Amino acid sequence: MTASRLQIDHVSCYNYSGVVHSSYNELRLTPLSTMWQQLLDLRVEVSPRAPIFTYIDYWGSQVHAFDIHAPHEALTVIARSLVESSGQRWEERELGWDAFARDDVKDPFAEFLEPTGCVPADERLSEIGSTLSSAASPSDAAAEAIKWVGESLTYRSGTTGVHTSAIEAWDGGSGVCQDFAHLSLALLRSMGIPARYCSGYVYPDGDNRLGERVAGESHAWVEYWVGDWIAMDPTAGRPVDAGHVLVARGRDYSDVVPLKGIFHGGPTSSMDVEVFLTRLS
Amino acid sequence: MGDLLDSYALAHPHGRPAWDEMFASPGTPRPRTRTLCETLQSLSAGELEARAAQRDRMFRDRGITFQLSGEERPFPLDLIPRLIHEDEWQKLERGVVQRVRALEALLADVYGAGRIFDDGVIPRSLVTSSEHFHRAAWGIEPANGVRVHVAGVDVVRGGDGHFYVLEDNLRCPSGVSYVIENRRMMARIFPELFASHRVAAVDSYPAKLLESLRASAPAGISDPTVVVMTPGVYNSAFFEHSFLARQMGVELVEGRDLACHSGRVYMRTSDGEREVHVIYRRVDDDFLDPLQFRSDSLVGCPGLLNVARAGNVTLANAVGNGVADDKLTYTYIPDVIRYYLAEEPLLRNVATYRLEVPDQLEQVLSRLDELVFKPVSGSGGYGIVIGPEASDEQLEVLRRDITTNPRAWIAQELVALSTAPTWVGDRIAARHLDLRPFAVNDGNDIWVLPGGLTRVALPEGGLVVNSSQGGGSKDTWVTVGAARRRIAASSKSTGQSGVARPNGATSDDRPAAGTPVVVPDPGPNWEDPDRLHQQERQQQQQQQQQRTPFGKDRTGC
Repeated sequence: MTASRLQIDHVSCYNYSGVVHSSYNELRLTPLSTMWQQLLDLRVEVSPRAPIFTYIDYWGSQVHAFDIHAPHEALTVIARSLVESSGQRWEERELGWDAFARDDVKDPFAEFLEPTGCVPADERLSEIGSTLSSAASPSDAAAEAIKWVGESLTYRSGTTGVHTSAIEAWDGGSGVCQDFAHLSLALLRSMGIPARYCSGYVYPDGDNRLGERVAGESHAWVEYWVGDWIAMDPTAGRPVDAGHVLVARGRDYSDVVPLKGIFHGGPTSSMDVEVFLTRLS
Repeated sequence: MGDLLDSYALAHPHGRPAWDEMFASPGTPRPRTRTLCETLQSLSAGELEARAAQRDRMFRDRGITFQLSGEERPFPLDLIPRLIHEDEWQKLERGVVQRVRALEALLADVYGAGRIFDDGVIPRSLVTSSEHFHRAAWGIEPANGVRVHVAGVDVVRGGDGHFYVLEDNLRCPSGVSYVIENRRMMARIFPELFASHRVAAVDSYPAKLLESLRASAPAGISDPTVVVMTPGVYNSAFFEHSFLARQMGVELVEGRDLACHSGRVYMRTSDGEREVHVIYRRVDDDFLDPLQFRSDSLVGCPGLLNVARAGNVTLANAVGNGVADDKLTYTYIPDVIRYYLAEEPLLRNVATYRLEVPDQLEQVLSRLDELVFKPVSGSGGYGIVIGPEASDEQLEVLRRDITTNPRAWIAQELVALSTAPTWVGDRIAARHLDLRPFAVNDGNDIWVLPGGLTRVALPEGGLVVNSSQGGGSKDTWVTVGAARRRIAASSKSTGQSGVARPNGATSDDRPAAGTPVVVPDPGPNWEDPDRLHQQERQQQQQQQQQRTPFGKDRTGC
């Protein structure tokens, strides 16, 4: 897809097993405005109703924060956004490996090189990384790394959870987009290539007509820096394009959690999330 | 007539001569400690023991105890005060003020524009790899620009007689309650010492703290509600939390007494909810707001950080300050001072090695048995390895640790901490000590409590002074002028020892003018021929401090 105007409806519903007396929540559901992506409209509604406080966090994501103090048994969050995208672009630059060893290159990207809870360092992975990096230039090795992840994981939902690490998913051999992204980050960072986690949405492949509301999902992919930031979707095994809507970036999933909160009361009995995308042009 | 000091020997830890706070050489007291020395000489061991017993009884009666390995003990106050003359104190004080100014500027930059990284003074990775760098605090603008409402800057005196900074404490520095209680205790059990010395008062601290907390209230709040927030009675510093709340006349609350809704924080009282504007919190960052940090925290209050972000409550000290008192950041502080203030540091750092730098690591590995090693994330003296005292096995473990995780450690040259005469049960002997001066920043002025907490390593030759390691303490006297001068109990409140005191308001409860009693703690109320001169100097200092980059207009109060 080369250019698009998409409407995204993101509906989340928590059903609690008892009465909740107070809950505190943060949403990271606002598509970013970038060089290639414009947020045209956004509406966030929560039920029970509550005043919403917004701020921009350290990573540049817009956060909606709210708390609810009326007794409630369910919480619904509806975020509707309208986004125009021309597709992420980047410049192909040929940097040698020596550049990635220089402090003045590494330091600005320090936090995209360090291991995290979901993206731990792993010796076996580092060996794969050094095999790839010894055979190719940084940009070719990075592309190979994305390819390797696609071959090492099978897409299967339900085998991993939100806290599964890249290595756990790799050992299990399967996962969802989040796991593909985490494993890509782990391999890229092991080679010394700065890499960050991206969350958002992707317009599903298929013969969809303009104006048709189609079911989608939250999605995750990666960006890595080889002279410029390159955005790749390891789950799909292809570059990011105008069908991708970028919401937030961070070191891993925990920096960009779409909905997080705590509440006083019984445990959540169920959580339903539905995403619908409508292509308007 | 006793002879308690006759066999007093100076210490030479690991072959390095230590500076003694009282004696220039064996048998020869330093000029300004002669009076104290003479008083001690006039006492017998029996008299000191009797006073020690009185002290323990009074501390126990008043519940001033310290928990050590699960046991409540009377706070270990040594009977012999440590004297620092105001001439020397003023230098130290200026150094502490300078340091706090620079640390404030560093925090504002780290949680804001990050100019210092762009200018290459400190690497960004230093901050991003610190476990105390809280991204959730990024973008929170404190109402009067202050993040370090209270600082404790730990200093030691080296063998050369100079003070060196050992570490900065910008999160929840504790110990000030012991400074005040120690002074009260000393006035009771050693009144004759106060009759022969003029000592700068310490009991104005709570009033100073309250003033600075009120000054940090959100804009537009003219009469802010201030509270002290404690993790609860089981915290080892609970005594201090309740002490400060009582002395300031504000509520002491726990997380469960607070509730955030719709962007404001309220305290639950018997009359219903009351809005809170400033929280002097003694709860660690990680436990403060379970929405942002540890979700399993039971001592925090969910939503607090976003109320601070909205500008409706001030958290003192600010969240995320630990990035500036990180032991690795410490190594850059002299450069940080030069960068933000364009001044040379007035206080030196102890020579410290960064183990992430290959050359420095190599040098350190060849000198393991000479240096001191500290875990970067540790506090309270836990995990410190003193090379010359460590066994071969310990050094081998250390070698492995620092090679695999160099970011987790710093190495320092061993400082032969200065010593002072200390009562050790049957005699007076030299024991090593440090000093934690406390600085309070109200946005216009950084005030340093004259004296601070002197901690003593009680085991012979010991160099670790932390009270969590069984250390003791000493009352620390900033002495003014020459000894044995008449004390005039004037009620006029002016400055003291050149310390800037903008409005002189204190909570002192001392006798009124002319009362013919010995005033144990004369504090700022004395007649001094140099007073006018001092006031002048004080005004200059205030003016200078008003020009500090973070000295925004005070709100409230």
